Amino acid sequence: MRNVLALGMALAVVCMVVAPDFGHAAGILRIAQNASDVGSLDPHFATTTQDRSLVDMVFNGLVRYKPGDGSVFEPDLATSLPTPRVVDGKQVWTFSLRKGVMCHPTTGVPSYPLTSEDVVYSLQKSADKNRSAYAADYTGMTVEAPDAQTVKITLDKPLSPILFFAKVANYSGGFIVCKKAAEKLGPDGMKTRPVGTGPFMFKSYSPQERVQLVANPAYFRGKPQLDGVDFRYMPDISSRELALRNGQLDVINGVPDKAWVDKMKGVSGVKVDVFGVGEVAILHLQTTAPPLDKLEVRKAIAHALDRDEFVALFGPGIGENVYSPVPVKFLAGGLTREELAAKGLDYKMDRERAKKLLADAGFPNGFSLEMVTSEMTGYRVLYESMQAQLAKVGIKANVKVVDHSSFHSMIRKDANPLVIYIAWRPNADIYFTQFLHSDSIVVTGKKPNTNFSHYNKIDGLIEQARNETDQAKQVALWKEAQIKALEDMVVYPISYQNQVYARSNAVDYGHELISVLALYPGITEKTRLTK
Amino acid sequence: MLKYVAQRLILSIPVFLGVATIVFLVVRVIPGDPAVASLGDYASKEAVDALRQRMGLNESLPVQYVRFLGSLVQGDLGKSMITGSSIRDEIMHALPYTLELTVLAIIIGTLLGIPVGVYTAIRRNRMADYIGRILSLTGLSVPAFYLGILLILLLAIQFRWLPAVGGGGMDDLKENVSHLILPALTLGLVMTASVARLSRSAMLNVLRQDYVRTARAKGLKERVVHLRHALRSALIPIVSVTGIWAVSLIGDSVTVEVVFARPGLGKMMVGAIMQRDYTALQSIMVVYTGFVVVINLMIDLIYGWVDPRIRH
Repeated sequence: MRNVLALGMALAVVCMVVAPDFGHAAGILRIAQNASDVGSLDPHFATTTQDRSLVDMVFNGLVRYKPGDGSVFEPDLATSLPTPRVVDGKQVWTFSLRKGVMCHPTTGVPSYPLTSEDVVYSLQKSADKNRSAYAADYTGMTVEAPDAQTVKITLDKPLSPILFFAKVANYSGGFIVCKKAAEKLGPDGMKTRPVGTGPFMFKSYSPQERVQLVANPAYFRGKPQLDGVDFRYMPDISSRELALRNGQLDVINGVPDKAWVDKMKGVSGVKVDVFGVGEVAILHLQTTAPPLDKLEVRKAIAHALDRDEFVALFGPGIGENVYSPVPVKFLAGGLTREELAAKGLDYKMDRERAKKLLADAGFPNGFSLEMVTSEMTGYRVLYESMQAQLAKVGIKANVKVVDHSSFHSMIRKDANPLVIYIAWRPNADIYFTQFLHSDSIVVTGKKPNTNFSHYNKIDGLIEQARNETDQAKQVALWKEAQIKALEDMVVYPISYQNQVYARSNAVDYGHELISVLALYPGITEKTRLTK
Repeated sequence: MLKYVAQRLILSIPVFLGVATIVFLVVRVIPGDPAVASLGDYASKEAVDALRQRMGLNESLPVQYVRFLGSLVQGDLGKSMITGSSIRDEIMHALPYTLELTVLAIIIGTLLGIPVGVYTAIRRNRMADYIGRILSLTGLSVPAFYLGILLILLLAIQFRWLPAVGGGGMDDLKENVSHLILPALTLGLVMTASVARLSRSAMLNVLRQDYVRTARAKGLKERVVHLRHALRSALIPIVSVTGIWAVSLIGDSVTVEVVFARPGLGKMMVGAIMQRDYTALQSIMVVYTGFVVVINLMIDLIYGWVDPRIRH
């Protein structure tokens, strides 16, 4: 017993000795993401939220999405947003680069001024499938450097500004890497040692634990107000939450659930941010295999579902209703509920009508469907809710739970007649190309991707819209394409899910949070700690 | 003795290779594709196929297996399929965090568990015994991760004595110790419950022995009877299962490292599973297997040293 008391006293003494501020340096923002480790910090392979949010602080694009508002483009490494010219029948975009933009120093490569040579190298890397996950987005693009401060991009087929700027913005393949550093580090080195021109520079990487960034004193928009960023990998939400409450973290990736948001709002010294962009959950209906090859059946399924029930899974404010595949709140080309209701395409829940449609299609007693869902909560709850709702009209959905990676593999092999897919895409064309163009049909398409419905009736509209340079006409074409897809009921937009982050009251992001493409609040040179 | 040690060492080689083979196969049975896990759902099939090729996933299983065993024999654990980093370096970075956690947990578990077990045995069927038994049963019933969260709430959130998460730098002793206490206490308390129960039953067995009665009849003080005569004999089974506890603690340390976000082997293993990093996962499993083989080897050697009859 004495040993127990002695150990307890020793513990208390040790605690008092080591208690101070847990090694926190003033001016360092500590942020934790829901991930166990780095995936890749080569920006052209950074496809996950944890990687995107980190490379966002290190790299720039020729243009950028306005911090906190992904609907507005601003010049970034370029001095202005150019207007395209047509030369020899091809569209040409010419960018003038800012002067005095410095590449971060790294081992064996001192800091040097960024030139058009770096931009050309970077965009060519983005187009190479062996050096980029986004290569498919950069085909038909020639990049040249007429002089050190000018970059000329020639497109085989013209694009509207909204589609073109997305390719050279600070997102995915548009991030500009520094050529000398990239060549010195090599493909493996770049995965854990990002070298760019952004407000923060890589300092260290500790596997499974953290990446430390320091402020870039030579940043072209001015020295950041933070001294650095300590980016932690913490897959367990309890750990992140407790560390925020304890003062060990300043910003954490939260849980998209109203109960969690309400709980954290009640914690002293903590603020909760719920913001876009919202990842859209869409139900894709397989159109080539019975019984879903009948339009009545697909419409019956749509009428059997209640969007409000899906939104209730996450809570109002976290989840929101969406009526067109392209979310109108965040992207040009989406349709409002009113626009669709006027055409009778808002597919209100009407289970009597659903039963009648099933009977008309020859299934008065319903039928059974086999499908898989990911084990991830965000997916599983949607599938379970759909299963319960469909049962009310006699459709029995047998849902098997598999791990997330297998789910993605299996649905791409046509395992599901009904696929619920949650995704964010940066513009309407990518939604259309990946989900509704025949080239992207799973298994059998020319470039199989995520067209789970096997739909092939709006290819012309998609291609016409892609190359329409008049934005008003382009939006009209996108709307027309969606109306056609909804008339054929190949996609049923379910809901979108906003991002949820919690932060200490001391954190000022330096911008309003409306929508951030990288799915995190956005840490810039203006972000600061007020205490 | 040397011959015995050599025999045990030689016998552990096929065990080690057998387990490594099972690990290689089990890792590949886990559903999911590392290339898809790495590139995410946005990547095109072309990009995924190109990555699969670079990762060597298109090679046949026998080719992958021969390459794996060949590297293993040379002590080369390979490179992470995801980050491209040297797995040996990553393991060497993570290992100290797991070792210090496990060692301190064993120390806490032993220093707390044995006295509690002995005391409750001496006070059998009295209030102290009931309380001790209830507490040890509770300790056995509460999962380590849950106990960890309770301790964080109490010592890190309520009193703010200690950091809630992280490993602390290995180059800063104060920071390292402050980050070690809570997870070690969590694992140590779980172990305390097991040790206390075993110590109690071992002591009760010994206290019934004739030589203890004889010691008492000689007029020795109770304290001397308990500590010199009874406890010494009771320690033999307790020490003999310390190895088993150490192995079981390695398993518990995985969940504790995740809850406390410690960059140890356990967290590395969970990360490798989530990312489907086959190379990292099989290397970590091989290292864990190595631990178990070495611990069992040490137990065998200690048995042989304690009881020479076993050597023959």
